[in-house]
Amino acid sequence: MAFSIEKKAVTKWLEKLLEAGEVVAPVRTPCGDVLFSTIRSAEEVVWDFPNPLHPPKEFVLPQTDPIVKIRRNGQHHEVEAIHDGTRRFLFNARSCDAKGIAFLTRMHEMEPADASYLRRSGNLTVISLACATPCPLGFCVCTDSGPFLSDSCDAQLTDLGESYLVEVGSAKGEAAVAEAQSLFRKATEDEVSRRKNLEVAARNHFGEETCHFASAMRRISTGRVPDALWEKMGDWCLECGGCNLVCPTCYCFGVKDLGRDGTWIRCRLRDSCQYAAFTLEASGHNPRALRKDRMKRRFFHKVSAQYYTRDGTVGCVGCGRCIKVCLGTTHMPAVVAAIRKGKWHE
Amino acid sequence: MVTVPTACPFCSCGCGFYLLAREGQLVGVAPSETHPVSEGRLCARGWSAHEAALWGDRLRQPLLRRNGKQESVSWDEALDHVAGRLKELMNAGKPVGVLGSSRATNEENYLAGRLARAGLQTNNVDFSYHPICRPLLAGLEEVCGKHAPSIRLNDIASSQVILLTEGNLAETHPRAASSILRAVEKGAHLITVGYRKTQMARLASLHLQATPGNEGEVINGLLAAILDLRLQDRTSVPIGYDALRRDLETVKGTEEVRQAAEWIARAERAAFLIAPSCGPGDQSRKDAAAFAKLAAITGHLDKPASGLLPLLARSNVRGACDMGVVPDRLPGYDPLDDARSRQRVQDIWGKKLPSAPGLRAESLLQSVSGLIVVADDPPSVVPIGQRAMAAMERIEFLVVLDAFLTPTARIAHALLPIASLAETEGTVTNMEGRVQRLRAATNPPGEARTGWQVLAELCGRFTSSYSSASDVLREIGQAAPGYAGVEQRLSEDGWGGALLKDFDRAKLVVQPTRTTGLAALTSVERPYLLARDVAFDWGHDPLVSFSPTLRRDYQSERKLFPNGFVEIGKGDADALKLSGGRQARLTSVHGEAMVPVLVRTDLKPGLLVVPYTFRDRVSNVLGTEGVTAVKVERA
Repeated sequence: MAFSIEKKAVTKWLEKLLEAGEVVAPVRTPCGDVLFSTIRSAEEVVWDFPNPLHPPKEFVLPQTDPIVKIRRNGQHHEVEAIHDGTRRFLFNARSCDAKGIAFLTRMHEMEPADASYLRRSGNLTVISLACATPCPLGFCVCTDSGPFLSDSCDAQLTDLGESYLVEVGSAKGEAAVAEAQSLFRKATEDEVSRRKNLEVAARNHFGEETCHFASAMRRISTGRVPDALWEKMGDWCLECGGCNLVCPTCYCFGVKDLGRDGTWIRCRLRDSCQYAAFTLEASGHNPRALRKDRMKRRFFHKVSAQYYTRDGTVGCVGCGRCIKVCLGTTHMPAVVAAIRKGKWHE
Repeated sequence: MVTVPTACPFCSCGCGFYLLAREGQLVGVAPSETHPVSEGRLCARGWSAHEAALWGDRLRQPLLRRNGKQESVSWDEALDHVAGRLKELMNAGKPVGVLGSSRATNEENYLAGRLARAGLQTNNVDFSYHPICRPLLAGLEEVCGKHAPSIRLNDIASSQVILLTEGNLAETHPRAASSILRAVEKGAHLITVGYRKTQMARLASLHLQATPGNEGEVINGLLAAILDLRLQDRTSVPIGYDALRRDLETVKGTEEVRQAAEWIARAERAAFLIAPSCGPGDQSRKDAAAFAKLAAITGHLDKPASGLLPLLARSNVRGACDMGVVPDRLPGYDPLDDARSRQRVQDIWGKKLPSAPGLRAESLLQSVSGLIVVADDPPSVVPIGQRAMAAMERIEFLVVLDAFLTPTARIAHALLPIASLAETEGTVTNMEGRVQRLRAATNPPGEARTGWQVLAELCGRFTSSYSSASDVLREIGQAAPGYAGVEQRLSEDGWGGALLKDFDRAKLVVQPTRTTGLAALTSVERPYLLARDVAFDWGHDPLVSFSPTLRRDYQSERKLFPNGFVEIGKGDADALKLSGGRQARLTSVHGEAMVPVLVRTDLKPGLLVVPYTFRDRVSNVLGTEGVTAVKVERA
């Protein structure tokens, strides 16, 4: 179902959404960055922006995520799950991030399902903004996660100049439109066709960044990447973990209790498989003590056919964030190219 | 969700990020693409910078030790007691002192210095990291004046040549390492000088092997080789080439050294990065001076996008120096005996300043009867390690201001809880000389107050007080002329950051000094060298040890080796029949120690290295030195 909303009416829609729940949208900070943040008014929302480095997965899988409250009661401990039941609208998410959240949700739905995550994602309505202009380092065309979406979001906005085309993809999307139904009208055939043309144009305007997953997948899935190559690439990684922390599809975590006065809050903390002691076992044994082995593990998880078969997609949505945050030079396109060519910096 | 832009509290690269807080509680960090240093890139420490303030053992109320226990009291009672006891000690003619900190803000350090000099009338003021970096800074000062001409961290990425005398840069200064990776990727020549084949050394065009504490041997070789190239037209700095070359007459260079010299001399843009050394202070100072001369005579200190950076481990070493938290310096890093500077500071503080130079950190810790420690745990930072703890336990009245319950805080007679980085206002100065604001994302826990407020109140009990952190920064602008106007420049929105313009090319001095290499320490009887690793130990820093994510990496080895270890090369280990975890007996002229070994492949034969964190395990062997000759036996 596709609707249309006049640009000048969007403020009113946002006001309705603000009444119905928390609205998260890209906002510009005084320092000039754009960040996804909770907004208080529609005026804060930015419409023309490069995708923020800090991914909106923060609102389904926060860096510090309280999951269980533990209370001492005499000789016993009472355990109570913490559920974030806030109805939340993620507004103007980019296509790659909407795909990323859908990826995370599929993973957390697998048995045993993660109730804490699912409660939060169940209350989240993703209203994405299609990317008529691809971002300079994005390669979502290589991962089938943009620049326009045909699934994975509750509603998708396309900028048609004087209005937005609103494609509704789920019941949650329908409900978000229903919050201000009178502001919407059914989209015309012309509007739908203009959106298709914009998508074709956008696909032809990608930058230099590409990522050929298929041949890399063949090599990594069949153990044809020499150890020496991983070792060489390992020297170009500074173990910052930034690639994991900003990746829309990464979900590794650690667990730690925040205790005070006989009550503990057990928190899930965002973590990185690239940190040396991430896989350290209580015995002192570390199956991935070497950086090359950690790197191999990361890319096997992201690119191998084994995981592709399980997840139905590579573990990458082509957002290009890892290119920007990588303190070294071992971001996704660089490593995929090295795997494919069997060489690094030669 | 609140997003607050602030500066990273770890190393001196001075990255920036947003602290994220929800319902008054820190929840994370978000990168900033617009930050002039980090540009969206952070290291593992930066990504977890919110954790220590949230998960750490935080101090919540002022405590006074009574009947052997720390009891909570009101702020007024605590501050009156502190001021009263210190006055008693002063009246009794007993020495008192103050330790500032390279993890405290400029405002806190400035007030710590003012409290010592104007309030306690003593120059016994220093900071715990200073013993490590003092020789390096002194050596660079001999050539460059007060501050070396910095290259911007981002400019390193476009350097054609990088000369790196390192501990382990990828670990100590990941942001600087990041720029080097980018330069090397573009074809720059990286030349590393060090005793270990580190990650950077593996990526280098040339790795010049050095003996720990005697890096000067390689640096002087480079200097001699560059002089032989006779490139007088490279710089306008007056240089006595012949005198300099005569000074280096005995220095012999290898083909590799000559190749490196050629690259340095011919480069249009070059970066010179130098870390502190574990060698004797005087030798380290000379080596640092030689390093600066190398940069000066090749003309790289007087052109844009080239320059020198001392690799100082902690975030505000530069600021602590600039604030005069050094026994023989005033705010502005001016010498204590400089009449004009003294007058300037006296006019501002309205007090005559003491003239006798104060004690340096390690002596200060071991000599004073009353001590104020601001935001630090000296035993984990100073080279003398646990001897500092033993000395502090003997101090008659120990006052500690900290956000965290550190080992030093545990033994304090008066414990004053202050805000952590996430809750404070103030500024820090990175290694480039960039002054940046810290902003509060949450409130301090319990009754804790910002550090500058507590120090201002203490100052008030001796001299005067302040109403805001900006007030302090304004006064810093008068006391340290380099900081004039900084308060105004930082008041605008955005990252900005005020870059200090403190290098004066006209002050470059390149003079021959009597070059003496470190005499060979080893002998037939003691054929191995034992060196104290120069890389800073973050594992004991509360910002790491209280962070659930960071402490894991830093402390896992410590858990496996509760008795510490020394590292030994594979060849030596095989020859001595020492496998990993086996005890070795180390004997030097100072004494003997039994310690497990860890076998490494990146160490050359004849060398053992003790990580900084385990230096106490071999303190009998090292004595007061950073490197010594030892006999090694399988125990």
